[in-house]
Amino acid sequence: MRKYLFVLLALALAVGVFAYGCAPPEPEPEPDPDEVVDVEQDLVVAIGAEPENLDPLKMMSAPAATVAEHMVENLIYLDVDGEMQPALAESWEAAEDGMSWYLYLREGVQFHDGTPFNAEAVKYNLDRFLGVDDPDSAAVFAFLLGEVSEVEVVDEYTVQIHLENPFAPIVSHLSHSFIGMHSPDSLEALDEDEFAEAPVGTGPFTFASWDRGNEIVMERNDDYWGEVPQLDSVTFKFVPEGSSRVIMLETGEVHAIMAVPPTDIDRLEGEPEIDVVHQTSVRVLYLGFNMEEEVFEDVRVRQALNYAVDKNAIIDTLFQGVGEPSTAPIVPAIFGYKQVGPYEYDQDRARELLEEAGYGDGLEVELYHPTGRYPQDDTVVEAVQAMLAEVGVDARLTTYDWGTYLDTVIVTPDEAEHDIYMLGWGTVTLDADYGLYALFHSTQWPPYGNNVSYYADDEVDALLDEARITPERDVREDLYHQIIEILWEDAPWIFLHDEGQVNAVRSNVEGLIHHPLENLSAWDAWIE
Amino acid sequence: MRDLELTGKTEPLRRETELRQVMVHLRRNRAAMAGLVVLAIFLFCAVFAPLLTPYDPTGTDLSRALEKPSGEHLLGTDELGRDVFARILYGSRISLAIGLISVAIGMLIGVPLGAISGYYGGKFDLFMQRIIDILIAFPGILLAIVIVAILGTGVGNVMIAVGIASIPIYTRLVRGSVLSVKEEGYVAAAKALGLGDLRIIVRHIMPNCMGPIIVQSTFQIATAILWAAGLGFLGLGAQPPDPEWGAMLSKGRHYIRVAHHLTTYPGLAILLLVLGFNLLGDGLRDALDPKSRNSR
Repeated sequence: MRKYLFVLLALALAVGVFAYGCAPPEPEPEPDPDEVVDVEQDLVVAIGAEPENLDPLKMMSAPAATVAEHMVENLIYLDVDGEMQPALAESWEAAEDGMSWYLYLREGVQFHDGTPFNAEAVKYNLDRFLGVDDPDSAAVFAFLLGEVSEVEVVDEYTVQIHLENPFAPIVSHLSHSFIGMHSPDSLEALDEDEFAEAPVGTGPFTFASWDRGNEIVMERNDDYWGEVPQLDSVTFKFVPEGSSRVIMLETGEVHAIMAVPPTDIDRLEGEPEIDVVHQTSVRVLYLGFNMEEEVFEDVRVRQALNYAVDKNAIIDTLFQGVGEPSTAPIVPAIFGYKQVGPYEYDQDRARELLEEAGYGDGLEVELYHPTGRYPQDDTVVEAVQAMLAEVGVDARLTTYDWGTYLDTVIVTPDEAEHDIYMLGWGTVTLDADYGLYALFHSTQWPPYGNNVSYYADDEVDALLDEARITPERDVREDLYHQIIEILWEDAPWIFLHDEGQVNAVRSNVEGLIHHPLENLSAWDAWIE
Repeated sequence: MRDLELTGKTEPLRRETELRQVMVHLRRNRAAMAGLVVLAIFLFCAVFAPLLTPYDPTGTDLSRALEKPSGEHLLGTDELGRDVFARILYGSRISLAIGLISVAIGMLIGVPLGAISGYYGGKFDLFMQRIIDILIAFPGILLAIVIVAILGTGVGNVMIAVGIASIPIYTRLVRGSVLSVKEEGYVAAAKALGLGDLRIIVRHIMPNCMGPIIVQSTFQIATAILWAAGLGFLGLGAQPPDPEWGAMLSKGRHYIRVAHHLTTYPGLAILLLVLGFNLLGDGLRDALDPKSRNSR
């Protein structure tokens, strides 16, 4: 008897659940044709990785820049076409001797907390970035202003930046998203570990909330000095899995996603409600060697691994043809680029070189990589693992999410556990100095730099130093060509590919800016 | 002493009939036999995997990625062009090994602890059972995740983690059985004869607890395989390129819209293997229980 009762109950429950699932949705009220329908202007964007920090001293990645630039503005803005546009600085000019630059600031701008924006604020921000008071607390990206000797307040709205040498790329460096102008008050609080996650800038949106691991919400700044955005709010959700991002876009949970998984591109392009946006990128993807490891001190091993990887197959299969095999440590769009590659795919050559280097019997390496940060990152690494295995290199994979990953690989050589690491670098200033100095100059070793390969070469150092302070464009260009040639032979990385960006947006969203710097900007956007 | 030796001699005979009875009963249970057949097939696949497929489970061929099932690739290929059928075959080695070894670990530690705890009782029992309470308070898979987080990822550590997570189950089970068995007359007799505790536990008590242990182990293997697949899915188990089913599911779900075979077949493999162990376990439970045996 009890058994029957149980079965009956179970049946009733099942039917109930089913009926609930099938219930027709509540009929939506018919829109009144006379009434102007206001669409909620709350834009939601899904991106793969979470900003590791929004403090300019600690920002390190494009996701951080993408979020930050909605709230915090730069002196100079690099637009989609690669042109320098006035932002908080209305104009700028070099002194006649080239040893300093004058910046003329926009008047009448206020930070979100009401503090006026002026020359003092600029000086405060730049000094903090450079670590003037305490060199140990300089920004990870302080090299951007490496040649700056002093920031001088000339008058309320004029700043003079003094240089130790005529530093050619200074203007493009000032456009870097990590040198945003924050309210000095908020930075002071930040240094005392308060408001560590709430940037106070001058931008079109203000910080609302940050739910770690989930989303950052920003609201419209009604007092914005420029054109006030139409959106009420912008939310960036962090969704590491590409397929999950796609599903969220299709169900309308989000309005736009970055980095569409290649296998979904074709399908999304066929959907009328969704626009797929292709954009170039300034990012190269690579697998860097830890050159403090004995095995990678030998250039033959480094070259062998370059020959062992079939870059074309990775692009064609894993990216469905989006992107190009790398032909230099920077992408072709960057000033100073020279085509020197790619390393052809040649397993025999790889085996030969390994044999010569004394690793004919094989070799074991630890390969660390992030997941969700770069398109197909973990799949690319698995493909490389299989390719390396074919020449006798056994790569053990260790996966981390982005934040943990950075903490794990951006460390001193003593602390490094990895033999090979995966990273990408977008030369977002469009000038080779940023791409090459930061990654290959021997002063740029972690933890206060991005030379994660611990690369050190006197000749490259000298050339990089010279190129930094050479005003003549063609001479500089030639210097970078030399550097690129040396680096290519020296192979501190397995050069993988130049990325291509594929984003997708619901078709009722207009005005989003898909930037080659891998930023998705929403200040001009609206929802129809 | 003479009496004891006598029982010692007659024991094999008695056991044989017991075993025969169990087998007869098990054979009558169709579901259990189906489970046994499924397990036999998987075992065969695991052992003879290299003979059943010409493909290397870790050999990639990017030019043939994400192909649908065909004559050449029975269950299609994955995102790196690896043969899914080969990966499932070789994957059964990993899953079976994890299931068997982790259960062995759990048993080796859990059974003696339970036996001692139940036989001696008192403060040791009290203390032991509180520790077991703490372990039981964690859901098994969660405990396994914590242990893997401490030990690091990899198949070996998954075995240890799942093994440790199944200790409390055995300890409780055996303690319960021992508590009831130790009140039996023959245990009192053995004690009266002055036999050592160890001998009483091993020779007289444990054989009478074997039924529940065998049944539980069958279910526990199924659970262990599920947990291991779960850990693999979370990226905590077998590391690439090992063809572990849970990890295959995890990778394959990215392609579920374009290539469902990457998730369907590893999922089916997990389902069938776990089902096989559970059916067999059900059958064994009935067969080993004299009451249910007699009632039919």
